[in-house]
Amino acid sequence: MLSGKLRSAVIIGGQGIRARKLRTFLSMISLFMGVLAVVTVQAGAEIAERALLTDVELTQGIDGTRAMYIPDNGAAIVEDTVRGRKDAVAALNMSAIIGEPGVRPVNEGGMPFEYAGQGRGGPRGYKWCDQNGCYGAEETQAPKPDGQAIEVRLYALTGDVRTFRPFRPVSGQWLDFASAPAMAPRLVLNREAAKGLRQYHVPAEMQVTGASANMTPQITGVVDDGGMEPAAYVRIDELRTWLPSTAKQNGGQGGPGLQLLLSPGTSDLEQTLRARLVGLGIPADQVQAHEIDSRSRMSSQLSMMRWIFLGLAALVLLIGVAGILNVGLATVGERIEEFALRRAVGTSRMLLAGIVLSETLLTGLLTAGAAIGAGVVGLKIGSQIFGGRHPSLQGIEFPWQAGVAGVIAGLVAGILGGLIPAIRAARIPIATVMRA
Amino acid sequence: MTALIQSPLIQLSGITKTLKGQDEPRTILSGVDLTVHSGQSVAILGRSGSGKSTLLSLIGLFDRPDGGQYILGERDITKLPERKAAQLRSAEFGFVFQRFFLLKHLTAAQNVAMALVNGQGWHSRRKRKAKVLAALDQVGIAHLAKHKPPRLSGGEQQRVAIARALVREPRVLLADEPTGALDTETGNLVVDVLLSATHRGCGLVLVTHDHDHAAKMGRVLSLHDGKLA
Ligand SMILES: Nc1ncnc2c1ncn2[C@@H]1O[C@H](COP(=O)(O)OP(=O)(O)O)[C@@H](O)[C@H]1O
Ligand SMILES: [Mg+2]
Repeated sequence: MLSGKLRSAVIIGGQGIRARKLRTFLSMISLFMGVLAVVTVQAGAEIAERALLTDVELTQGIDGTRAMYIPDNGAAIVEDTVRGRKDAVAALNMSAIIGEPGVRPVNEGGMPFEYAGQGRGGPRGYKWCDQNGCYGAEETQAPKPDGQAIEVRLYALTGDVRTFRPFRPVSGQWLDFASAPAMAPRLVLNREAAKGLRQYHVPAEMQVTGASANMTPQITGVVDDGGMEPAAYVRIDELRTWLPSTAKQNGGQGGPGLQLLLSPGTSDLEQTLRARLVGLGIPADQVQAHEIDSRSRMSSQLSMMRWIFLGLAALVLLIGVAGILNVGLATVGERIEEFALRRAVGTSRMLLAGIVLSETLLTGLLTAGAAIGAGVVGLKIGSQIFGGRHPSLQGIEFPWQAGVAGVIAGLVAGILGGLIPAIRAARIPIATVMRA
Repeated sequence: MTALIQSPLIQLSGITKTLKGQDEPRTILSGVDLTVHSGQSVAILGRSGSGKSTLLSLIGLFDRPDGGQYILGERDITKLPERKAAQLRSAEFGFVFQRFFLLKHLTAAQNVAMALVNGQGWHSRRKRKAKVLAALDQVGIAHLAKHKPPRLSGGEQQRVAIARALVREPRVLLADEPTGALDTETGNLVVDVLLSATHRGCGLVLVTHDHDHAAKMGRVLSLHDGKLA
């Protein structure tokens, strides 16, 4: 019985659409724009979210982590306090050059290798001074020759920093903090540093300003740390063999030397450390820890943006709905006699309304399908055209959420646009066929 | 007239109907009595606006009467809910109108099949085709099955409409001025086709202005002042 109804509906609906192909097509165009707008916003938001949020925890730290920047004169005491702890890790960062000694690294300044050769090197003759004397002037006289070396940012860790920054393994092994320290410091590179090493075939020799001698590091693995610039990670105790904590560092260019990351719920340790640092004469307001909330802040900003754009897309969709509604009403007006006649030959009111509704619903879904298809193709073409310039756009997949949003938009538009015409169709009195 | 043992096909008694006019409600039917037996034909005459179409729309369950009683076969259907009425329209009645009301984007055969594709039961494509061809054959235009209405003459179009009314083998055929838009000769042909259906036991109610056509029916009644006489 139901199948009789359904099959009748399919035949009648099909006849209706076929008799008005052009009109159906025209009503699809305005709806197409609306659904495409929704699909585009959803896809854009998903891609942006993925690009920004996945790496934010790697670079900034997991939300809830407490971070503290320690002035240079407090570094030693912090290093001592957190040594061997799992709930607090200190990272000392400095510049390091891997490769031939005494040459200018290909990516001077530690920039991504994409910009290698355009070295930050600064204007020749650049010279800066502090209370310890002047630097850079000699370089102007005798610039270092270019050579096989790369510059990286070296992070010396007191413990496993992945508790706070969940690096993704790429190859090899992460640092082993349990074993006895090795004479040749073990290094883990990030992807950019590994790329530089591969590209420039540099010898395994590492120079750090202030170190007693050049080191011969052993590279044990590669991780994705979310960073764009070349970086390397090392156990601080292995580095200390070569670089005593008393050594003068020029490394802290662009940032404090020591960052301390603390697990949530370690306020005792935090209190102790602050007390000790203040005891050293560091002003209390310089040793404030702050809680990391980058991810939640960023995602709330992103979702606000998404809602704004979705609102705009909904307006476009509304225009599409108005279009389909307009066409639906005009069609019903035109088909009054047909509907009256169909009811006269025994088609029920409900079935008739159902047919009108499913005609627009079908139109809506077909449109959604077309818009999703256009989105998929557009994304593919876009990622091919712009993928070269923006690596984050390479190999991007069409997010399924955008597809779902498109189907929902098509359904909603079909229902909104078809309901009123359907109700009108059901209300047509049969006697219309006798009063012509 | 044949003696009838069965109960009548249609029994209307005291049917009243008031329609909302432009200014005030107008009583169109004020106590109509009508009995039709199967195989019987009835002509209804009456001047324009006397309520003939209104009466036919009540018989055909397009609408329900305000008062009186309507018995179809042995069943009282005076206050039939709409869903059941749709079933009966499909199973028991065939309609023919002054304007043929064919869908111009469908072929003659598809127009006839419309009465089979209405959500009331299901016939396979093959069975539909057989029934449609039989109905078209019955009205003498099986050869026009694939033609669309704009290519058919008025008489042919009306015969397609009659085939559509007959395809479900209804018990009652209701025709509202079916010859109104046709010339005399074609009109005669159409009336003969309608009348031939009564030979198979179908009841026929024909509303017409044409006294010659009325005279061909078994009974001739006239609607006047809301009553049938
Ligand atoms: N939907 C309606 N609402 C109100 N009055 C109507 C309606 N349809 C028809 N009428 C009126 O009812 C009367 C009878 O109409 P109808 O049954 O069509 O007459 P006939 O078919 O005999 O010409 C006419 O006066 C007509 O104006
Ligand atoms: Mg009339």
